[in-house]
Amino acid sequence: MTDLAMLSVTEAADAFAKGEASAEAMVRASLARIDAHDGQVNSVIRLDREAALEAAAAQDKARAAGAKPGPLTGVPMMHKDMYYRAGRVSTCGSKIRRDFRPTKTATVLERLDAAGAIDMGTLNMAEFAQNPTGHNAHFGDCHNPWNLPYCTGGSSSGSGAGVAARFFAAALGSDTGGSIRLPASICGVTGIKGTQTRVSRSGVMPLSFSMDNVGPLTRTARDAARIMTVISGQDPLDATSAPEPVPDYEAALTGDLRGVGVAVPREWFFDGADEVVVKGFEAALDALKARGATVTWVSCPALRAIGTYVAVVSRVEAATIHANWMREHPGDYAIHLSGRLYGGYAIPGTHYLEALSRRGPLLRQFCREAFAGHHIVATPTLRMRVPTLAETSIDANADNWARHMAISSNTRPFNYLGIPTVSIPCGFDDRGLPIGLQLSARPFAEGRALQAADAFQRETDWHARVPAL
Amino acid sequence: MPNDPSPEMMAAIRLWSGVECPNAAAARGLEDFPALMAEFEALRGTLVFEDEPSSFEAALRAEQEKQA
Repeated sequence: MTDLAMLSVTEAADAFAKGEASAEAMVRASLARIDAHDGQVNSVIRLDREAALEAAAAQDKARAAGAKPGPLTGVPMMHKDMYYRAGRVSTCGSKIRRDFRPTKTATVLERLDAAGAIDMGTLNMAEFAQNPTGHNAHFGDCHNPWNLPYCTGGSSSGSGAGVAARFFAAALGSDTGGSIRLPASICGVTGIKGTQTRVSRSGVMPLSFSMDNVGPLTRTARDAARIMTVISGQDPLDATSAPEPVPDYEAALTGDLRGVGVAVPREWFFDGADEVVVKGFEAALDALKARGATVTWVSCPALRAIGTYVAVVSRVEAATIHANWMREHPGDYAIHLSGRLYGGYAIPGTHYLEALSRRGPLLRQFCREAFAGHHIVATPTLRMRVPTLAETSIDANADNWARHMAISSNTRPFNYLGIPTVSIPCGFDDRGLPIGLQLSARPFAEGRALQAADAFQRETDWHARVPAL
Repeated sequence: MPNDPSPEMMAAIRLWSGVECPNAAAARGLEDFPALMAEFEALRGTLVFEDEPSSFEAALRAEQEKQA
């Protein structure tokens, strides 16, 4: 029989629904794989072994009694350790919150619970979700399952590494400058951030109130579509959440891209890009064309301003949120994080407000430049080959600042724009590390981005490859 | 602008926010700021009076994909 840990979200849910696999067997398969391999990867912060087995046994019992399963019943998941569950410690990857017990549960966890997902525990992450590499000075660095000395990407490091390693079928990450898409790209899995305001942030650790997003990391676009359908939508506990209706995203996954226009911006995304990344990206465009899409290179002058303003917004907001701790015990932060936060206090309020004020007009300009006649914007997720943990550690060497910050160059603009963006694997570099393809759509067109991602995954098998651990 | 504005920025951070420079990496991070300042300088004039107040959320709604 198939190793149950290898099942995707939809495969696991379908296997449970058809009575082909029990929830307990699927949880046990996940636990066994974590026990066997997470010593190398370090993706897990807290494993709620007994609680997960009890939840699975209860689901099996309910099914035997005739209960109808939900869309995620029996599916083992773990989540970045910044999603609050009342009474459970949520460290946020930090020393400062090592013993923090929230009093409320995140809306997204409640929605996943209601859909039947099994929450097996919490995952490693960048401290307070603030690095793009996966370094963590307090819980240990997370390692790339494809090649352990290499970065996982961050800040949802454990989410990307754990899904890639087949420790669990899916994980929530968060994305303020690329923190879902970078580990998705670097670990060779699928990750999506929705439209800004699409998914509730109630009960989720804040980093930047203007640009924080919640979303899943999964093995396939279909898995991401199922989870996004469950977690999206307005939430009375999050006044910023959008009232737009949520479609069934899986229904849009036809595999057919005829009539779909794909735009590729000439500016920004290829500045200093590694050749192996560009070649992988160009091959990915061919796969989209094979499914019927038309591809056009376009000019987007708005990107220069976007690239400048995005560097300001999250930095100032994060510095604001952390001001008390930065005054009272700055030594409790990792070196790179206190260093990053510190710069946020130097940016004038007028410049921060200029950056925010230009956000709406620049979104409109970008849509005119990129989406006129097109449905998708395609770019590489990461310009460079995947770097090692050593060559991006600021704590070890402050000279690594530039390389560290450059990792998120291609993901940050889409946080400023607030548009839905998915990253999917589209190849491997010459060192055997994954390359990512980033697909964006107009606001609230998550289904369009997932349609393109799913079609790509029907044409290729990059997403199906499993790292040897 | 001085060649290295870091001392002035550190003084302003201490004065406005009461935060001390925590480590050498933080000081190193400030070295990026002249480039950021230059980028802002290049954008001067693009924010016009009539743009304010602007609504990002309204732009999200307005720029949705039109149904075929």
